[in-house]
Amino acid sequence: MGIRLKNVGWKFLMILFLILFSFPIIPLIITSFSAGWRWPEILPDQFSLRAWNYVFSPYAGTWEAIGNSIFIAITVTFVNILLCLPAANVIARMNFKGKILIEGILYAPLIIPPFITVMGIHLTFIYLGFTESLIGVMIAHIAPTLPYMLRALIISYQTIGLQWEEQASMLGAGKFNRLRFILLPHILPGIVAGSSLTILVSLSQYLITFLIGGGHVVTLPIILFPFISGGDIGIGSAYMIIFSGLALLSLWTMNTLLKRYYKARITFIG
Amino acid sequence: MNKINFACLILTISILIAGCGVQQEQAEEDISLNLLETNWETILKEAKDQTVNFHMWGGDDRYNRYIDEFIAPRLKEETGVTLNRVAITDTKDVINKLQNEKSVNKKDGTVDIIWINGENFKLAKDNGLLWGSFASQLPNVRQYVDINAPDIQYDFGEHTEGMEVPWGKAQFVFIYDEAKITQPPKSIKELGEWIKQNPGKFTYPAPPDFTGSAFIRQALYETTGGYEQYLNAANEEELDFIPLWDYLNEIEPNLWRGGETYPESLAKLDQLYSNGEVWMTMAYDPGKASSQIEKGVFPETTRTFVLEGGTLSNTHYLSIPFNAEHQAGAMVAINYLLSPEAQFAKMDPVHWGEGMSLDPSKLSNEDREQLHLLDLGKATLPADELAKYKVPEIPANYVKWLEEGWFEHVAKR
Repeated sequence: MGIRLKNVGWKFLMILFLILFSFPIIPLIITSFSAGWRWPEILPDQFSLRAWNYVFSPYAGTWEAIGNSIFIAITVTFVNILLCLPAANVIARMNFKGKILIEGILYAPLIIPPFITVMGIHLTFIYLGFTESLIGVMIAHIAPTLPYMLRALIISYQTIGLQWEEQASMLGAGKFNRLRFILLPHILPGIVAGSSLTILVSLSQYLITFLIGGGHVVTLPIILFPFISGGDIGIGSAYMIIFSGLALLSLWTMNTLLKRYYKARITFIG
Repeated sequence: MNKINFACLILTISILIAGCGVQQEQAEEDISLNLLETNWETILKEAKDQTVNFHMWGGDDRYNRYIDEFIAPRLKEETGVTLNRVAITDTKDVINKLQNEKSVNKKDGTVDIIWINGENFKLAKDNGLLWGSFASQLPNVRQYVDINAPDIQYDFGEHTEGMEVPWGKAQFVFIYDEAKITQPPKSIKELGEWIKQNPGKFTYPAPPDFTGSAFIRQALYETTGGYEQYLNAANEEELDFIPLWDYLNEIEPNLWRGGETYPESLAKLDQLYSNGEVWMTMAYDPGKASSQIEKGVFPETTRTFVLEGGTLSNTHYLSIPFNAEHQAGAMVAINYLLSPEAQFAKMDPVHWGEGMSLDPSKLSNEDREQLHLLDLGKATLPADELAKYKVPEIPANYVKWLEEGWFEHVAKR
């Protein structure tokens, strides 16, 4: 009896949660299909495909923007993992002089407004010839995303002492095997958490992408912002739906891959 | 010994390279100087197969479509120039970018054409971010544009010196709902009375929103006795804006939400209007109301009106930055954008619905006939009525003072 009640309570909570989550998306969908939606109408009296027609017309460049957004986000994630694995390892498990300073510098992008850093990055990139290119935008995206990946990895590393690896080493495991069988499985959830945050933060960068990409590297925020600031809520809503879809899709993919990995590992060990 | 030889070799090579660089730079400068003097045929030849990056505000699908669907294919077919529209949110971002590029002397800039006017033009001109005086090189400018007209020669009081070319003209209009207001006010004073009688039904976007700022200038002209006194730039200390602040503070308690807050942008005000929360909105674009009706955003009964004491008008321009890579292509593209064909299409509310920058008296008879046949949309006032009440914009430096003053005397109070 008690358990059943608990179940009902859970279900109720879940449904409430779903409603709360989907509520802001419903008007978004309706606006993107409406031809004007005025108070006090509960539903718009006219529907139109104007917004979606524009979004998927060849000159709107939506597909290119989606492709660029995903490509940049994924590349940035990989670079972040490579940069943060050694950094987090050292910061989490070793002590050295000036550690706080280095941590502070690495976390700085969380506190310092991006506009300040990006103006400097822009000048340097002009010298280096990185402006108006995908590579430049990717490198610039590392600044605001790195702290999230680093934080997630440091926490993972903190829960695993050096002893496990020492023991494996005594049992004759080489560097690669220690990484493959002890370290990676343990910090994988941290990598996934950091990757999700990196992808979300990278997907939503506007200013950095605009300044470094000069409008030539077109990502979703680049084509979305003018419509929102210009007040075309129909097209703005359509783009927002695509944007949320993209973010959800990448999170879902990441989650599925992780689950599959753990399943495979359990059967492998068993 | 070997080491010294090696060092000498390096030195020689680097001098050679540096020398080449200088020579190349000179050659490039020669070409760009030539473009300002050479004949149109040479420019056309040079422009062929170039891809021109046109940086323009991308927040209206009509404007985007006009460029992508109407201009780009025709330009490509007629001249071989490819037009690539780059959407931006704020022209100031482009100015910042150019300023950065100027400070490190970047030569191969990616901005070929920039859509600009007012403060941004002054900023760009003062900082040497523009290429040069190219206007008189364009055949369509020579043939169709009245370059000496005051509203074209002066951009917010700043002499254009041929560094930018007029692309279109905009005028300030108020937008109202005919179903709710039978007799729209005819002056700023009448507007004040109307606001008192209809509390909560009017507001304006908070400056520095572009349109909100224009509304304040509109009120300034009438409350301080006309625009003429502002045509010559003056010192801030000499100016008396007090009647303006008095007026704005007087209407404040009867504004939307008792004037406690102002919409942060025109987009927000438009939303309030289309939801029926307020009964008026405004636009620095006489054709906007018609196209918003067409889109279904504004009610069918939406109309526009202008004040009889005069309504602000400005011209917006196209310019070429100092480091544009495809100057010839940019000239050819701008020339096409100023052709009667392109300008008429822009006037059509299907595309854009705004005033042309060409002088009607310079058009051919056929073109003029076509102009009369254009249907401008039901909420758009006829061109002669708009022209009758037109007054020029204020010099660019006043705009900043007014925006700061509004914050000090109206918003903070």
